[in-house]
Amino acid sequence: MRDNWHSDDAPPARGARSIPWRRWSIALHRDVGYLAVALTIAYSISGIAVNHIADWNPNYRVTKTLVTVAPIAMTSEEGIVPNVMKRLNLTEPPRSSFRPDTSTVQLFYKGTTYHVDLPTGQVIVEATQSRPVLFEMNQLHLNHAKRAWTWIADVFALALILLAVTGLFVLKGRLGITGRGAWLTAAGCLPVVYWLIFLR
Amino acid sequence: MTTLRTLAAAVLLVAVAALPAQSQAKNYGKPLTLKEKTPISAILKDPHAYHGKRVQVEGTIVEVCEERGCWINIASDKPFEKIRFKVDDGVIVFPLDAKGKQAIVEGVVQVNMLTKEQAMAQAKEMHKERGTLAKFDSTKYTKDVMDVQIKGDGARVQ
Repeated sequence: MRDNWHSDDAPPARGARSIPWRRWSIALHRDVGYLAVALTIAYSISGIAVNHIADWNPNYRVTKTLVTVAPIAMTSEEGIVPNVMKRLNLTEPPRSSFRPDTSTVQLFYKGTTYHVDLPTGQVIVEATQSRPVLFEMNQLHLNHAKRAWTWIADVFALALILLAVTGLFVLKGRLGITGRGAWLTAAGCLPVVYWLIFLR
Repeated sequence: MTTLRTLAAAVLLVAVAALPAQSQAKNYGKPLTLKEKTPISAILKDPHAYHGKRVQVEGTIVEVCEERGCWINIASDKPFEKIRFKVDDGVIVFPLDAKGKQAIVEGVVQVNMLTKEQAMAQAKEMHKERGTLAKFDSTKYTKDVMDVQIKGDGARVQ
């Protein structure tokens, strides 16, 4: 059976050498596709995650636990943090502390913040942990790294454009861009057209 | 095959180079340019005097925007005071683990008046987000509130 994909690469009728553009297009589509697999998956997963940022935190898992200790005396400003540490059995000194108001103190540790209500002894222990893998994917997707990653992301975006365009010409015939492919491509354009007309 | 391997290695090297270096101090956004720091307490004492002026302030980060990392609250040099340093979404993204670290930030002071309804709605939202210990007290909002923040474009966190 004749290879439907490469029928354009048959020797030109007039004898002149022409560029086997379909073969190049398919080769580009194939190789760029291989190169783009990892980032496409990473960016897609991250895209779903950050789309729902109103419902959840895609980067961090923040847990808040309420514990109660005995009320802590506010004898002197300098004594408050050591007293809180003692009451909470914290041996390491905090990174820093803050008094948002006269009855509250916050102790900042790496990954954990203690919000302490001194008169009642109620403490919110806020633990923050980055979501493994997803955090890194989001960093790349949203280009937090800046610098050279901006260029890598640009190259990746160009690769996606190339994949989309070359993908149109992989098949010939009734399944290709002149047949079924045209309808599917048009259907894929509908969300963009809808946005341009109704949502912009 | 060798070409492919070389290409893969090159891509990996560039990717590693693109990742931020793990150093003590980390710079965000534009470089800091001002030579002198302004005490946060001075800005909060007379906000209108600083409205529209570019300032550099320093203090402990006491809060970070959980959703987008697009603002931090910085403790003042005086107790019970803090100021918000706001950046455009995505331009700078402060990590949540910056809490408790020292920050030097630079930007323009903005003074806005919030109606009591706006102030109450904002405080209610913050209260809900933070899950703080105290009950939300709507009776505290009886008049318009002055909102002072620094709209920034550069920061150093250490």
